[in-house]
Amino acid sequence: MDRDIKISIRNLYKIFGPIPDVALAYVRRGMGKAELLEKHNHVLGLQDINVDIHEGEITVIMGLSGSGKSTLIRHLNRLIEPTAGEIKVDGKNVLDYDENRLRNLRREHMSMVFQKFALLPHKTVLENAGMALLVRGYTVQDFEGEAKKWLARVGLEGNENQYPHQLSGGMQQRVGIARALASNSPVMLMDEAFSALDPLIRSDMQDLLLELQDELKKTVVFITHDLDEALKLADHLVILKEGHIVQQGEPQEILMHPNDPYITDFISDINRARVLRAHSVMKKTTEPPTDCAGDISDRDNLESVIARSEGDTNLTYRVVRKGKQVGVLDMKELVKALVPIESAEGETRSRY
Amino acid sequence: MATYDFIFSSLGLTDWCAEGQSDAPMSMESLLQRTKGTGGEPESLWDTPFPSMDALNESCAAFPQSRDLTKGLEEGFLSIKDSLSVVLDPLTQPLSWALDGTLYGMLNAPWWIVIPLLLAVVFFVTKSWKLVGFVAGSLFLLAFIDYYRYAMETLSIIFVCAFICVLFGVPIGIAMSRSDMMQRLTIPVLDMLQTLPPFVYLIPLIFLFSVTESKLYGIAIILYAIVPVIRLTNLGIRLVDKDVIEAADAFGMTSQQKLFKVQIPLALPNIMAGVNQTIMMSLAMVVIASLVSAPGLGVLVLQGIRNLELGVGLVAGLGIVILAVILDRVTKASLARINASQKQ
Repeated sequence: MDRDIKISIRNLYKIFGPIPDVALAYVRRGMGKAELLEKHNHVLGLQDINVDIHEGEITVIMGLSGSGKSTLIRHLNRLIEPTAGEIKVDGKNVLDYDENRLRNLRREHMSMVFQKFALLPHKTVLENAGMALLVRGYTVQDFEGEAKKWLARVGLEGNENQYPHQLSGGMQQRVGIARALASNSPVMLMDEAFSALDPLIRSDMQDLLLELQDELKKTVVFITHDLDEALKLADHLVILKEGHIVQQGEPQEILMHPNDPYITDFISDINRARVLRAHSVMKKTTEPPTDCAGDISDRDNLESVIARSEGDTNLTYRVVRKGKQVGVLDMKELVKALVPIESAEGETRSRY
Repeated sequence: MATYDFIFSSLGLTDWCAEGQSDAPMSMESLLQRTKGTGGEPESLWDTPFPSMDALNESCAAFPQSRDLTKGLEEGFLSIKDSLSVVLDPLTQPLSWALDGTLYGMLNAPWWIVIPLLLAVVFFVTKSWKLVGFVAGSLFLLAFIDYYRYAMETLSIIFVCAFICVLFGVPIGIAMSRSDMMQRLTIPVLDMLQTLPPFVYLIPLIFLFSVTESKLYGIAIILYAIVPVIRLTNLGIRLVDKDVIEAADAFGMTSQQKLFKVQIPLALPNIMAGVNQTIMMSLAMVVIASLVSAPGLGVLVLQGIRNLELGVGLVAGLGIVILAVILDRVTKASLARINASQKQ
């Protein structure tokens, strides 16, 4: 791998209950979640999680409620202690940290954005944005400039002296993001950060995040239950189900090759034309096509390609990345790719 | 012969019982029986007495009577009283000083300093001119009917006692909120303090301290009034939004930072509600405490009862109502101010 691994999670287990160690032994011997709950009254939160989170990328962890995604993200800064496994940040196992080093990790290396914003209601927007700096012992005068800069960056110029309850939900979450950014930590954990917002504002916030990400190149771990959001943001997508990873990889790859009926079912409802990009559907070749209708970028989504072809399925496009041809896209292939993988659709429907 | 003789004879305790035998009548009842000449044996099953201490004593003279229980308790208390006083006296002495000092200060400062000072405090905590006007009117009314001195005595006692309640109650409440064990241990004590009739804990206090000392009623008031501020501090901190606490943790706050920058500020509305209750309960108790020489309006109420002076009792009662309304309005208004500044 050419990309640096920022956080690596290995064989992580979390079991909730009075004696998790005993339950862990059962799980390692292959006992399932339902059986464990019924026979031993322990809840299997996470089961054998292995994820590499790369530096400067957005890693999205997706799953339905109860799949353990929020539990997983809280392991990264040890708001929840794992039952077994290891979590390495920059190569060092976080689980070996004592209280001081852990506090230092939370203060300097990881910031977090919460679903319910979790702003301090008795502090102004400015003080909230500077919370991470306040915690480190700076005074309001010290961090005023920094906090104002980030508030302006998320579009909250002039709201500094208001209180959180005077702002709308979307604006409150902007404060939450400014707070995380102002801590200047390389890692940002976002726990369903946009789930409580209405769809239009959510889309705005996603754009804001992508824009910030282009500029700042933070390592972002993003939790969501919304597939569209996951596909829009993810560089690396991890799909969780009942505490274990069903599939992880590049989102386009997962769309084209789902390896589980659960995922097939999940992705059957999305607008594939908008999500799929030319490079996932093209045939990889550097040979120029015989009758080329034009050049398209490998990042173009299929919707824009269809619009450009005006629905003509006989065309063939050259797919170009940074001026060089990387493949050839046949419109017929494109249309085929729009049909979701039908594998046992009826059957999976009834199961989930 | 009495009803439960068989118990002692079957247990072979007849000899032990005989040791306590005496021919003198041990109770009014037995004296009456002896003079009437009737025996202790009940005539039918209908009249069978409950096997209480007294009934068993009839069968066995060595068995203690119920009055021995209360007497034993009293003697036990009296025997530890002196050593208890040695410890408690110096510990509680500052309370006497605080009460005497405040009373001296409030009563000896001229009214044209005390009343404006009180009004300034009211304005400072409520920022409401309307309330200042109301308080001024009430105080002038009390002063006009020559109850100023009594009202000030009552107020001074409440100020000192409520202040000490907050001083001890808030830290106890915080300790309770941080440890479930502490909560389990403290709640029964709080329940007892709240339900024990206030007259009852005046009794041991009278034995412990001299009635001339002001700490006697001070302690009674504090014990009675400290409960709500402890309870509501504990509750307030436990009710602080879990998400906000989690955020504080995620940003690496130490537990001290969390307490002073998040938990206490967010619990403040509840803590203030507790302070309001504490003040109201001190007012209730300061009236009862006039039985043990607490000065103030309560003395007049007591005088009204003792001497059947209807007018004095009624006017003093009305004065207490006025003080209650003032204290309640002012603390509620400052509570509302805190609430307004931290809507969720």
